[in-house]
Amino acid sequence: MTPPEIIPSADYTSPLNCQVFHQGGVLPVSWTFTDNVELGSFNIEVHSNHDHHTHSTEAEDCPEAEHEEHAAEGNLWVFNKDYAIPAGSTSYDVKMNIPIPADAAEGEYHFMLRVTDAAGWQQLRSVSIHIEHAD
Amino acid sequence: MIATILAAVMLQVQDTTQTLGPATIYGESKRQELMHLTLGSVEVGHNYIENNFSGTLMQSLSSIPGVQARAIGSGQSKPAIRGLGFNRIAVAVDGIKHEGQQWGDDHGLEIDQFAVDRIEVIKGPGALMYGSDAIGGVLGIYTNYLPVEPFEGRVNLFGRSNNLSAGVSARLQGRSGHFYWRMHMTGTDYADYQVPTDEIEYYSYRIPLKNGTLRNTAGREADASLSLGYVGERFRNDFKLSETWAKSGFFANAHGLEVRLSDIDYDASRRDIDLPWQSVNHLTLHNHSHYHGDGFTIDSNVAWQWNHRQERSEPVSHGYMPVPPDDLERDFSKHTLTGKLGGKVDFSPQNQLQTGADAEFQHNRRGGWGFIIPDFETLSGGVFCIDRHSFSETVNLNAGVRYDHVFTSIHGYQDWFTTPDESDIPVYKQRSSDFQRHFDSFTWSVGVAWSPGRWVLKANIGKSFRVPIAKELGADGVNYHIFRYEKGSSDLNPEESYQADFCINWVGNKLTLRLDPYFNWFPNYIYLNPASEYYEGLQLYTYTQAQVLRTGFEIQAVWEISKHWELEASGEYLFARQMSGAKKGYTLPFCPPFKADVSAKYAFLGDGFVKLDVRVAGAQREIVPPEKPTDGWYTLNLSAGKSFSIGKTLLKTSLQVENLLNRRYYDHTSYYRLIGVPEPGINASLMLGIDF
Repeated sequence: MTPPEIIPSADYTSPLNCQVFHQGGVLPVSWTFTDNVELGSFNIEVHSNHDHHTHSTEAEDCPEAEHEEHAAEGNLWVFNKDYAIPAGSTSYDVKMNIPIPADAAEGEYHFMLRVTDAAGWQQLRSVSIHIEHAD
Repeated sequence: MIATILAAVMLQVQDTTQTLGPATIYGESKRQELMHLTLGSVEVGHNYIENNFSGTLMQSLSSIPGVQARAIGSGQSKPAIRGLGFNRIAVAVDGIKHEGQQWGDDHGLEIDQFAVDRIEVIKGPGALMYGSDAIGGVLGIYTNYLPVEPFEGRVNLFGRSNNLSAGVSARLQGRSGHFYWRMHMTGTDYADYQVPTDEIEYYSYRIPLKNGTLRNTAGREADASLSLGYVGERFRNDFKLSETWAKSGFFANAHGLEVRLSDIDYDASRRDIDLPWQSVNHLTLHNHSHYHGDGFTIDSNVAWQWNHRQERSEPVSHGYMPVPPDDLERDFSKHTLTGKLGGKVDFSPQNQLQTGADAEFQHNRRGGWGFIIPDFETLSGGVFCIDRHSFSETVNLNAGVRYDHVFTSIHGYQDWFTTPDESDIPVYKQRSSDFQRHFDSFTWSVGVAWSPGRWVLKANIGKSFRVPIAKELGADGVNYHIFRYEKGSSDLNPEESYQADFCINWVGNKLTLRLDPYFNWFPNYIYLNPASEYYEGLQLYTYTQAQVLRTGFEIQAVWEISKHWELEASGEYLFARQMSGAKKGYTLPFCPPFKADVSAKYAFLGDGFVKLDVRVAGAQREIVPPEKPTDGWYTLNLSAGKSFSIGKTLLKTSLQVENLLNRRYYDHTSYYRLIGVPEPGINASLMLGIDF
């Protein structure tokens, strides 16, 4: 009767709020899902936050973002993929590297993790990240 | 049984000018009334509706034990009986099933509440009379008042504080010899409604509310109807044309795939309706004929309903869908043709047989860039036979059978845009495929009513059914209103329900007591199951079937202490449990917690009254994903009314103040509970009526 949880991974956690990544680089993902009975599946979504909408779990506007007025230049990067979790798991570590398109528009993005348990409860976590020009 | 009585009551109402008052009638008449049916029912007249006037018809009825108004936002509500709502209860207007409410979860009944003369609530399966959909109960709405004067009428003005609604309703009617006419017109305009909070949390979004106002929930409604009739010695005919139209905004921050900062300045006005919004038209043409001979009667009903609904929203791209060309997200147009023929024969003063046949054709077409329900046609027909036998003054027996056949044809649908398949080749994805289904159902019911002394005891047992609707069979799309992907199952079977109902009444001169326990078993309840998979980035919900057990009761005590004082206490309790399937051990969605009302009423100067009511609801910890547990709550409510005669005209006033203490609470059965919207704070409704 309780939703699964999304917690920081034991070794390292990524992305974190207000973390900066670069065009053409990778977005490393490292978070941990737990459930008291059995996990279901998860989804990773990245979408642009050039309009500065707000999520309540974590994603706040980052200090530097408030002063930037990024026109939506280039490709407003969208990433949206569903993944299965092996049956019977009560804990699962997401470890992957998501390639960031070289033409992704600079600015603020929301990174969202969604996870279900086998019973159909859902948990979300959202993090604000920044994509900047590769130096 | 139910049928017999319904028909009998219908005739009675058509024959007389009587409109029934509050549901409590004491003594012998009460006992006789109770003896008619073997299934629990409650009947209220338009006085009751006016005295309890609180925004929507359903909210006015929600003080009846076992009846819930499921708020769906914009100040609208859908009916539920004993926790079952949507297409599990039949709403019938003058005997014709009201078609239109099944597609969307977020629009109310398309009925002009000021045109209603009388409502009968059957709290239990009404399948014998109404076929599919009446599995959880019937809301029988009657508008067929028969005028007596050459010219008479009424004008009502009403307002509501919370959403600053204002409205006017007029009814004019007259009779000349054998001919009569009736006319209704109602117009309402309301602003965004307010809740006692500054912020809500929806999905992972935090939404600040300016002055507690739910942005863009304003709306408008306009209704009109015209009836022409003939009433002769043995023959009667009533022809009615009615249209209801409504336009209302969707809460701007909880519609669409993303909560986005729109360029629309929603806070500019509380009264304007911006995107996203919906409009609904409901047109009805209905002809009813009645003939009564010696020892028999014949009734025929023919009706055409056209329901047209549009949902418009700002075009945005989602996933692989590019930005759509316009704001027409969804368009549904449904035509329903209904024909009913029924007869009653008195074999003896003790025995009456009623039989009937009905047929219905539905034709639904969709449009717009958002897909959720496919095009479909449904043809259904049923025959029934009910026998009523009186063994003595105090024992009545009813028994009936019904057979139905339903044919549904679902049309395939392909996306208008391409999505890459596994090998990255762009394809127009198939959302639903062409298929046809035939459904058969045999249902029955048997009941007894026994009245020894001051007791009236009733027992009824029966089977009822519900044919899966197109949404359950063929839905395949994103439900924007709740952020999920819904998928139908083309192999669903007709939902069946076995129910035992009991009704225990004790009718004294000053005191009446009533207890309505029930026990209900669904071998294959159709349940929208939240799965653990994702589909195109959204959690997948699929239609499945599971065994479900439901049991509960309603209880009511009315004590007329003196000429002036009356005390009333009522309560309801429901337990629901899924006994098989993916959610075995869980309850059903929107399961109402126990609820109790205690009220004291002071009557003065004829029909004047002041009533204070305390409503208490228990906490609801029995939930299914994605619900949250809801705490218990209480509210204090006040109602008052009085009429004044000025010559030949009668001025009626009624006032209703809900949530006097302005308490912030969540109603577990409200659709907006899921997005964390509390119920409205203090809310006053005022109505002035002039009868002439």
